[in-house]
Amino acid sequence: MIVREVAWRIFAAEYNSSRLEIKGEGERAPSYIVSPLGAMVNRVFLVGVLTDLENIGTGDEPLWKGRLQDPTGNFYVSSGQYQPEATAALSKMEAPAFIAMVGKTRTYSPEEGVLYVSIRPEKVRLVEARERDHWVLETCKATLKRIDAMTDAKEMSAPTVDELMRLGHSRSLAEGVVKATGHYQDVDLSRYRAMVVDALKFLLPEYQSELESDVPTELGQRPEEVEDEEEAEAAEEEKEDKVLTIITKLDKSGKGAAWDEIVEEVKRLGMDRTVLEEVTNSLLDKGLIYEPVLGRMKRI
Amino acid sequence: MEKEEIAPHVSEISRVLGNKVSEEQIEKELDTYLNLYRVSLETAKRSVVRKLGGDPNALNKGVQKKLSELTGSEQSVDLLVKVLSANRKEIEQNGELRTLIYGLFADETGTMPYTAWDADRFALERGQVLLVRNAYTKEWNGKPQLNLGTRATIEPQPVDSVKLPDGMDVPVYGPTTAKVAELIEGMNSVTLTVKILSVETRKIESQEGSKTFFSGMLADETGRAQFSAWHDFNLKKDDIVQIRGAYVRSWKGIPQLNFGERAEVSRVRSPFPADLDLSKPKIRAITELEAVGGAFDVLVSGVVVDVKKGSGLIQRCPQCNRLVQNKLCRLHGKVEGQYDLRIKAVVDDGAGSITAVLNKDITEALVGITLEQAIKEAREVMDPEVVKEKIEERLLAKPLEVRGNVISDDYGLMMIVSEARMFVPEVRAEAANLLSELEGAQ
Repeated sequence: MIVREVAWRIFAAEYNSSRLEIKGEGERAPSYIVSPLGAMVNRVFLVGVLTDLENIGTGDEPLWKGRLQDPTGNFYVSSGQYQPEATAALSKMEAPAFIAMVGKTRTYSPEEGVLYVSIRPEKVRLVEARERDHWVLETCKATLKRIDAMTDAKEMSAPTVDELMRLGHSRSLAEGVVKATGHYQDVDLSRYRAMVVDALKFLLPEYQSELESDVPTELGQRPEEVEDEEEAEAAEEEKEDKVLTIITKLDKSGKGAAWDEIVEEVKRLGMDRTVLEEVTNSLLDKGLIYEPVLGRMKRI
Repeated sequence: MEKEEIAPHVSEISRVLGNKVSEEQIEKELDTYLNLYRVSLETAKRSVVRKLGGDPNALNKGVQKKLSELTGSEQSVDLLVKVLSANRKEIEQNGELRTLIYGLFADETGTMPYTAWDADRFALERGQVLLVRNAYTKEWNGKPQLNLGTRATIEPQPVDSVKLPDGMDVPVYGPTTAKVAELIEGMNSVTLTVKILSVETRKIESQEGSKTFFSGMLADETGRAQFSAWHDFNLKKDDIVQIRGAYVRSWKGIPQLNFGERAEVSRVRSPFPADLDLSKPKIRAITELEAVGGAFDVLVSGVVVDVKKGSGLIQRCPQCNRLVQNKLCRLHGKVEGQYDLRIKAVVDDGAGSITAVLNKDITEALVGITLEQAIKEAREVMDPEVVKEKIEERLLAKPLEVRGNVISDDYGLMMIVSEARMFVPEVRAEAANLLSELEGAQ
């Protein structure tokens, strides 16, 4: 039986934190990435804001690179000649726009133990804000289901698919959760729960003011291509550690650290704004931080 | 090993020895090896044959196979399996009652139905791991089925010698209480409490004459199903009954409840809330439907993630209604196809997906195009694909709720849609509820 791969609903922050890939063996066996919460993803359905779109290929051999933003971060998208339908659709689009996308996972591993993930679209459509809101809600629910399954798995000394299914989790989720618990150490579920809470608040007008206070007007340009990160060096990591410490320190309210305050703080360490932007971009890429609202950075 | 179990092996050894040795002597030798020295049956047989001057290689060498390798034409095959289910059934054969056992075997490659034709010789029980020798297979409804006949033997093995894939293990097929939504093909001894929504008296003709049975629809709070009662339980519409000892068989891919004279039916007080309308279809998660393989008249909602090939303006054979491609019908060759509209949409809820098949009327209403308009538009651009594109434009990435019967095929779940609607989800209200639940839990 050749069953179609389900289109997972997953936030960028969780997706980009995936470090486990399961390569299908054999000719038609599908490959998966396993997220820290046990989503075993081959296909995704996303709705977000297309913030950047660029053809870095040629007219004849187009290669479109784009970023799709959700309330937690960015999905990196690339579409070339082997995705004719999506490529044709993207070539008619312009950022910013609400778009929906069905796509396949794609990975890039410059070295052992490092895994960058992006999306190769199958279908792309312009949509409206209400489709995006619906997706955010559905993705909150899906994320909570995974958090529940992970919570159940943590209670077991050696979680098995059967045991998780007996607790009411679906087979595909149970399989993913067993793989995730075997690979990721100590996934902080409360952070993911807080991410869902923020995403829900994002949908509710009564929380908009709370979330959007102190929004600085100038927002750092987001990172370049995923592949660019392969040159990350020890010096970069050191800077990243510093910024992470600062973000944690400034995040007193639990709603994330305000951008302006981070800028002030790193100045004292002699880091200028451009460098800070690079570092936060990298942290966003790695899924170590996310933007609960524009202008605030929060650790995952 | 008991005497009657040894018997078939004694005659096999006797055959190998050219019937030159008395069966008593063979039996004595075999008994010594088996019950005194306690060696395995295979070794014992070979040793006896050798000792009595025969060629052990002439013994039936059952070929050991995996379940997935069985073709349905094996005359003698050995298998290492786990018993997933074992049910007893009495049959009448030549005027004699005998008990057989049937159920499912499993190994790491899959499962297969079996019938053991003698319940006394094969005391199979759920959960056992067995080395089955000299079984044979037959094809039944196009699929191989395993039989344990007079030549077959079973030897218990350590339980961990068969490792089943995760999730495939002894299912709860024993006497079990189930809800309508949980009914799966092959279930036996099911107990459930339901309301009879409709019932009619029907007759079938068979060799033994005509038989009256009762069929209709039943429901509980999880869903509805069709049933056949093979005995007159005096069921009436709106009865609330508890049925014990029912079994589930699929009819055209949809699980149905059956119960015969060995079942018990008793009137009970209604466990269902008075205001609950059991006759309405229930909303089901796609993963639940995957677990049971099919369902009668349910609602599914999700997002349309693909509009499959074969959607839009198609042509059908005027004689058999089959799809006509390149002006050819698979059965009737070159025909003048008749235009039709349909959609095969993949509806995905993030945990599972189902192919929803929408006929012309539903397609017209949903997409806002009539068949005549579709034909006209396709003619204008000389390309029927334009209709499929229009459907995609309208449906892709949108929430869709579909209603209908669900069955499984080689590509997963499929629904023949009776109603479809696009809906605008109540995002804010639901988000607020979820948020207060989460914050309340913290």
